[in-house]
Amino acid sequence: MSDATANGIADTAAGRKPRRDIGIKKRYAAERRFKAYGIIAIAIGLGFLVMLMWSIFSKGYTAFWQTEIQVPITFSEQVIGTAEQANDSQTKLLMANYPQLARDGLIQLLGISADDKKAVSAANGLISSGTRVTLRDIVMNDLSVIGTTENVWLYASSELDSALKGQYDLNVPENRRPISDLQLEYIDKLEQQGAIEQRFNWGLFTSGASSRAETAGVGVAIIGSLYMMLIVLVLALPIGVAASIYLEEFAPKNKFTDLIEVNINNLAAVPSIVFGLLGLAVFINWFGLPRSAALVGGLVLTLMTLPTIIIATRAALRAVPPSIRAAALGLGASKNQTVFHHVLPLAMPGILTGTIIGLAQALGETAPLLLIGMVAFVADYPSTPLDPSTALPVQIYMWANEAERAFVERTSGAIIILLGFLAIMNVSAILLRRRFERRW
Amino acid sequence: MMENIQATLHKGPAVEASRPIKMTSKDVIVHYGAKQALNGITLDIPERQVTALIGPSGCGKSTYLRCLNRMNDTIDSAKVAGKILLDGEDVYDPDIDVVELRARVGMVFQKPNPFPKSIYENVSYGPKIHGLAHSKQEMDEIVHTSLRKAGLWREVHDRLDEPGTGLSGGQQQRLCIARAIAVSPEVILMDEPCSALDPIATATVEELIDELRENYTIVIVTHSMQQAARVSQLTAMFHLGDLAEVGPTEKMFSNPDDKRTQDYITGRFG
Repeated sequence: MSDATANGIADTAAGRKPRRDIGIKKRYAAERRFKAYGIIAIAIGLGFLVMLMWSIFSKGYTAFWQTEIQVPITFSEQVIGTAEQANDSQTKLLMANYPQLARDGLIQLLGISADDKKAVSAANGLISSGTRVTLRDIVMNDLSVIGTTENVWLYASSELDSALKGQYDLNVPENRRPISDLQLEYIDKLEQQGAIEQRFNWGLFTSGASSRAETAGVGVAIIGSLYMMLIVLVLALPIGVAASIYLEEFAPKNKFTDLIEVNINNLAAVPSIVFGLLGLAVFINWFGLPRSAALVGGLVLTLMTLPTIIIATRAALRAVPPSIRAAALGLGASKNQTVFHHVLPLAMPGILTGTIIGLAQALGETAPLLLIGMVAFVADYPSTPLDPSTALPVQIYMWANEAERAFVERTSGAIIILLGFLAIMNVSAILLRRRFERRW
Repeated sequence: MMENIQATLHKGPAVEASRPIKMTSKDVIVHYGAKQALNGITLDIPERQVTALIGPSGCGKSTYLRCLNRMNDTIDSAKVAGKILLDGEDVYDPDIDVVELRARVGMVFQKPNPFPKSIYENVSYGPKIHGLAHSKQEMDEIVHTSLRKAGLWREVHDRLDEPGTGLSGGQQQRLCIARAIAVSPEVILMDEPCSALDPIATATVEELIDELRENYTIVIVTHSMQQAARVSQLTAMFHLGDLAEVGPTEKMFSNPDDKRTQDYITGRFG
C-alpha cells in the first residue's frame, strides 16, 4: 500500500511535461453559451409578461373609475305617489317611472325646454337607465325624501363614460360615433358646472350581471368563486392529504398501488373540460343537483384539484428525511405517530404550497364551469352555494363577448381583479411557508 | 498497528464469563429480496456490557443490529429467519409488539438525527408517547436525568427550548442518546454513532458509552478498531454475512483465532 503511494508521487513529480490541452477554453465557452441562452430565455419570458401586464392594465385601469353626473332630483309625488300610498302598497313605489325623475332633473340642469323632443332625448342618452334602481333604493330607504329635491350622483351612460375616457374617436363624422355633437355640447356644459366627475367605481366590485356596462360588476362572480374555493378547500385538502399519506407511508408497494399512482398522475393531465362533462353527468343528471350552482362547480373543481394536491403532498412527504422516520420508529413510535407527529408537520409547508397552487388553478378555471351552466346572467347574489351564480373567469369570458367599448375595459378590469386574487393567494402561500419553516 | 490497538485496549475489568445473557440470537438469516445478507448468526449479548460488532463494509453487522429491535421490518424486501431472544422471549413472536420491543431496545443512528423540535421536546417525545410521565414535574425530571446521563446537561440546561438541530454534531449525537435513554430501555443499539463526528466529539461519546455500561446493555457497530478496543468488552467480527469470530475484546485484538480477524484488525483488508 505505502509502496504504491510513493510510486504515484514519484510519477507526478517526474512528469513535468508541457501542459496538456484538456479543452479548458471550450468548456468555459460552453458554460458562457449556456448562461447566455438562459438569460435570453428569461428575457423573452419577462418581455411577454410585461406585454401582457401592460395590455391588461392599460386597458383595464379605467374600469375602476366611473363617470357620474350630479343631478338635482325632485322626488315628485305625481310620479312616485305619496308616502301614505307607499306605506299601503309598495307596488306603485316599485313600478314608478324613476327615469323620468332623472330626465326632468337633467333637462332642468341643462336648461332645456321639455318640449324640445330632440334635445330631451339627447340629454336622456347621457344618463344610465340603471338610475331606476339607484333612485328607487333612495326612496325605499327613506320615504321622507318624497316631495323634496336632492342632488344625487347618477351613473352616466356607458357612451358618455367611454367618450370621456377617450375610447371614441370624436373627430369622425357625427353619424359614425355613438355620441352626438349636441351631447358633447351638454357634456361641456355639465363640466363647466362641475356636475360631472369620475368617481371610484365601487359598483364594479358589488354589482351583479347587467346588460348595461355602467351597472355591471363582478360581485356575484366573486361570491360564486369564493363559495367554490371554500368547497374545494374543505373537500380537496383533507381527501388529497389523506390519500397521499396512505399511498406514501402505509400502502404496500405493489402493482396495484403503482397503477393508482400512474392514474393519479394521468388525472392531473386530463383536460379540465372533461371534468366539466363528468360533473354534468354525475352531479347534475344523476345526483340531481341544481345547474349553475357553486356547489356543483366546487365539486367539479375539487376533482380537478385533487391530483395536484396529491402529487404536491406526496412530493413533500418524500422530501422528509428518512432519518426522522427512523428516529421516531426507533423510539417505539407507531407508524401513525411517526407520520402525524413528525413527517406531516415537516411536510406541511410543501402541502400548503401545493394546495394554494391547486386552488389558484381552480380559481382561474373556466372550461368545466361552462358545461355545468355557470355561464349565466346572474344579477342577484347567491345566498347559498345551491343558488345560481357565476365565477370570476366565467364573468370575464362573458364580458369579452360583449361588443360595447365599456365592456372591453371592464373585461380587463375583471382580469385585474382576478390577478389580484391570485397574487393574494400566492403571497399567502409564501407567507405560510415562511411561517411554518421559520420555526426551525 | 497491532501494538497501537493493544495500547488503546480498555483497562477496565475484563469480561466476566458469568455475565447473564441479555439477548441471544440463533441462526439469524436475513434476505434483502433475493440477496442473502446474513448467513445464520448465532451470538450471545451479555448484560451491561458493550458488545462491538466489527467487520468490513457490507459484512452484515448493521443488518444484524437492525434485527435486534426489528428495524428491518420497515424495509419491505427484508426477510428475517431464525430466533432472536430478549430475556428469553422471541422478539419476532407474534405476541411481542414491535412498539413495546423498541421501547425496550433503543437505537442511536449513524448520523445524528434529532427531531426538528426543541431540545426538551426531543428528549420528552419518547416518554410522552409511552405515557411514562404523569405530570409536568415527572417529565421535567425524566428530561433532566436523561440529559445528565448523556453528559449534555451542563451544555444545554439554559436553552432547552432551542432547536435540537442547532447543536453541534457531537452534541446532537449525545442528544439522540439522551432521547434513547429517556424511555428507559434495557438495551441500546448504536449504529456507528461516531462516524459523523470529529475526534473530540468522538472521545466524549466514547466516554459516555463507557459510563452507560453501568446501567444498559449496549451493542455498537463500529468501523474503527480503536473504538471497538476502547469501549467494548466483547467483540464480534463479521465477514461476508458470517460471524467470523467472537470473543473478549482483549483477546480479539491481541490473539485472534480466526485468520480473517487477524487480517482485518491488522488492516490487510476492509
